[in-house]
Amino acid sequence: MQPAAAPPAQVGGGARHLDVAAVSKSYRGQKVIDRLDFEASRGELVSLLGPSGCGKTTLLRLIAGLVSADGGDIAIGGRSVTRTPAHRRNVSVVFQNYALFPHLNVRDNVAFGLRARGREIGARVDDALALVRMGAFADRAVAALSGGQQQRVAVARALVVEPDLLLLDEPFSALDRKLRETMQVELKTLLWARAITAVFVTHDQDEALAVSSRIAVMNAGRIEQYAAPGALYDRPATPFALDFVGLSTRIAGRARRRDGEAVEIETPYGIVRAPRPGTAPAEGAPVLIGVRPERIALADAEAAPDENRIAVRLADVMALGSRTHLHGAAEADDRLLCELPGMAQTVAPGAEVTLRWRVADTLLYPL
Amino acid sequence: MNAENRIALLAAPGLLYLAALYALPLALLLTESLRDAEGALSLAAYVEFFADPFNRGVLWRTLRVAALTTLLALALAYPTALALSRARGWAQTAILVAMVLPLSVGVIVKAFAWSILFRANGAINGALMGLGVIDAPIRMLFTETALIIGAANVFLPFMVLPIYAVMRQLSPALPEAAATLGAGPFFRFFRVTLPLTLPGVIAGAAFTFSLSVSMYVIPSLIVGERQQTLSMLIARSFLFLRDEQLGATISAILLLIAIAVVLGSSWLAARVTGGRP
Repeated sequence: MQPAAAPPAQVGGGARHLDVAAVSKSYRGQKVIDRLDFEASRGELVSLLGPSGCGKTTLLRLIAGLVSADGGDIAIGGRSVTRTPAHRRNVSVVFQNYALFPHLNVRDNVAFGLRARGREIGARVDDALALVRMGAFADRAVAALSGGQQQRVAVARALVVEPDLLLLDEPFSALDRKLRETMQVELKTLLWARAITAVFVTHDQDEALAVSSRIAVMNAGRIEQYAAPGALYDRPATPFALDFVGLSTRIAGRARRRDGEAVEIETPYGIVRAPRPGTAPAEGAPVLIGVRPERIALADAEAAPDENRIAVRLADVMALGSRTHLHGAAEADDRLLCELPGMAQTVAPGAEVTLRWRVADTLLYPL
Repeated sequence: MNAENRIALLAAPGLLYLAALYALPLALLLTESLRDAEGALSLAAYVEFFADPFNRGVLWRTLRVAALTTLLALALAYPTALALSRARGWAQTAILVAMVLPLSVGVIVKAFAWSILFRANGAINGALMGLGVIDAPIRMLFTETALIIGAANVFLPFMVLPIYAVMRQLSPALPEAAATLGAGPFFRFFRVTLPLTLPGVIAGAAFTFSLSVSMYVIPSLIVGERQQTLSMLIARSFLFLRDEQLGATISAILLLIAIAVVLGSSWLAARVTGGRP
């Protein structure tokens, strides 16, 4: 494999290579995709992240042309393909279980797309196999390959036809944890080096964070947020995104009043302040507060003016090696989670502690 | 004997039953066909059988009818099996029931029903004349065509079910993968779906051919004495001619055809799967 290439300069904002506009799809009267907009720039690796049943695989199949949209438009490279059948879209798919042809050997699997299009095969198949380091396996039966090798063949088969767009449906889910990480790095490097526009579909947030320049968090047929991994993690746009990506402390409360640049919220643990959003919640309105657990620390010294502090009793202390999770005793659906670096041994379950975090790190959502 | 081999003992009652009531009588029959007038080992009966042009004609007709029946059944069964494997819910149940239900109606009942349909003053001729397509009734009963149509009807489920069994194992992702690689419907069918379902086609064809080669009731009722098949010839040898050796000889020939079909189809199936599980 080549040395790690630099990520593409464009992270969104460039010319839209893939443009999904107001696309809808229903199955038996049930809306699976609901007037959805989505786009990707040329050479960008993006992810569709969401729980099973959120519509991410349906969206992938719509883009591939394996199902047809009820409404809306899908364009690739500026050309509308909404009514183009799958075999004329030039969109390759790496399927979840790779869907290699069991009656063909590795070489013929990779050559399939070239043969189907009546293109010359020449050295292309060998080049594609060399690219995924499977050159030595060309004459093997696909059933004789391991999961990782099958995935490499599936990638070679998808790339040899020089697709305008590559779609990957949970490509790493069939691999064990260690191999998964290796393959993620390998595939990402390969796609970057060849400036291939790719859409990953995954339910695994780590995978999405690892491979993509932007992540679309999907829920119930809609995209809740489409942002770079850092922004998505630091500024989740909705409670769903907050919950689905990463861990969080979340507290339900009621807005009290505005206090300069901050809003005061009444919670079961005391008053908490959050930066004032564009449209401040009305007084008494129910709100949700979120905080990333590593932003929270144990209070020792005096309170700083831009800090939130709450006193809690620790329900559990989980030492996880590189970090320790402190779980506070929480009300109802709330969750009080504080992450400390290393193996914190100074606190034990049952201890009364004070959690503190900056007002600026407090996320506020209307409920 | 380890546990896996001991489990094979469960097959013993069935095997013994088959040995006593199938293999033994068949062996006796075979021996009968291999004896000459003095009782010595000889192929004389076979030489005599093949010397008679009438017998050769019957053998050829039997093979031809079986082959054409298999082809017709395959043409009807493959799309049906495809539909069956893709359909869901009540549609699938309906097709399955439509396939299996006719098996519960005896062949004799069907054959008599067809004679009503096919005869000179039957439903088909009546309809064709009524529409002005033909002036005089065409002869359908007692023709080879009627026999092939009838036989394909009876044996259709035996063709559909093996193909369906293989087709339902075929992951729908494979034709989809082919489509995303640029393969149109024809390329997908001939390079993916058909090769991967060929084992089912071979099994179904072997079933249908074996059943058609040895069918007796259907030709007896549809074409009668006019166009005999091997099975009818066997029955005639035993029942009317009282020539047991001729009957035994033809039975042995029929058995050889059946063995050839079984061996040939397993060889073919092994070739197309290329050692795949």
